[in-house]
Amino acid sequence: MIRSIIPLIAVFLFFLEPVFSLFSPIDIGGDGYTLVPRFVIVYLIFIAVYYSRQRAIVYGIILGLLYDMYHIDIIGLYAFLYPLICYIATLIIRQIHRHIVTVMFLALFLVMILELLSYFFASLISLTSIGLDEFIAARLVPTIIANSIFVGMFGWLFKNLIYKRVVQRQGETL
Amino acid sequence: MPRFFSNKRLILLLVGVIVLVALISFSLKDRQNASLPEQVVKDVVGFGQSLFSKPAHYITNLIGNVDGILNTYEENKHLKVRLSEYASGQAELTDIKSENKRLLELLGKKDDLRAFAPVQATVISRNPDQWEEKIIIDKGEEHGIKKNMAVVTAGGLIGKIVLVTPFTSTVELLSTENRNFRVAAVISGEKTFGLIEGYDRKRSELIMKRIDSSFEVKVGQKVISSGLGGIFPKGLLIGEVTEVSTDDYGLTKLAYIRPAAEFSMLDHVIIAKRSSTSVDGTDGEGTADTEGEEGS
Repeated sequence: MIRSIIPLIAVFLFFLEPVFSLFSPIDIGGDGYTLVPRFVIVYLIFIAVYYSRQRAIVYGIILGLLYDMYHIDIIGLYAFLYPLICYIATLIIRQIHRHIVTVMFLALFLVMILELLSYFFASLISLTSIGLDEFIAARLVPTIIANSIFVGMFGWLFKNLIYKRVVQRQGETL
Repeated sequence: MPRFFSNKRLILLLVGVIVLVALISFSLKDRQNASLPEQVVKDVVGFGQSLFSKPAHYITNLIGNVDGILNTYEENKHLKVRLSEYASGQAELTDIKSENKRLLELLGKKDDLRAFAPVQATVISRNPDQWEEKIIIDKGEEHGIKKNMAVVTAGGLIGKIVLVTPFTSTVELLSTENRNFRVAAVISGEKTFGLIEGYDRKRSELIMKRIDSSFEVKVGQKVISSGLGGIFPKGLLIGEVTEVSTDDYGLTKLAYIRPAAEFSMLDHVIIAKRSSTSVDGTDGEGTADTEGEEGS
């Protein structure tokens, strides 16, 4: 049960992302703010931190590839970025304490890195023409705020679920 | 300080980067047609996606309904005022329609640019990293959808089909930054033709370019699709003129247009399948030769 629930949540979040992006861009006082749901990568960071790096990277490649093929038609972009972010997450977590709050902030920080990387790529192949300051004001900050709500709500749940799986696996190997 | 990369990892990373660059350049080169694996992935993921999106639409509609009930009294007052205007307008419209039909019969003209067969579709997802303004709908080749068809909502034109797989298709919205996205447009009731080309992000308005400077364009006039681009039917509402100026060279006019349709919170859309013959004109890719004269 617990065994299959870990990848199932990843798939669930993958399908949930575009549903939430239907509400974006939101219009407040004449300015449009773009909210980018980054649920999958947040979850993958939690897996990488609490469970296993290898798993996180494999899920990252598969979901990234699906994301590329289904949504953005540029194959290879997220299939590369997702595993990269997971890898960076495990490098950083070795240096710091694995407390839930620090992991939450780490996840938000890495979402920011992901947004920046995707912005640089988008301006490189001229998908977008917005400047860096406009990107930060209209996209990066609202995205981080929206995702921090998600992380705050589900961070505990993810941690507990993954922890249960880890305990179960330790039980199996004993 | 731990060593970040052992030799094995470094090689793995390099191979990864090479594969990535190859894949990206491959998919950037030929983005018009989806390859077979892409089509399969799109259809399968699209099916799963619609299982998630349709309940979400249902819930948002429910919330919208509650919101509507709360505003009923105000709206009712407002609508009662409009009703008398509507009745006379309706009578006039039926009269003009029947006369138009009679005159067309008199002329023996059967082909009408305005006629289209509507195909209803549900929006199943929007590109989550919103660099490109794209939505995916649950109708595809099997339902007679073809590339470059016009997509409208009750409000007006919202975009066109850019990619078709058997059971889904991708719609690029008018609010895109893609400079090859053109729609042949005309000021409603006049002969002032132009092209909708580009979107002003700051003003959230469309830009209509290449209007002959001898024509007069007034603020508040309605803009519709002209049907002369080859693929879109005639008469789809695009928006309303808010400002008129000249282009960079001062040769033609340029108008800012407030779009009639909302581009966010899309749920149900209609694909306009034009009844008369389609040719690959300005609505499609048949404009490669005009590329050079672009101003800004």
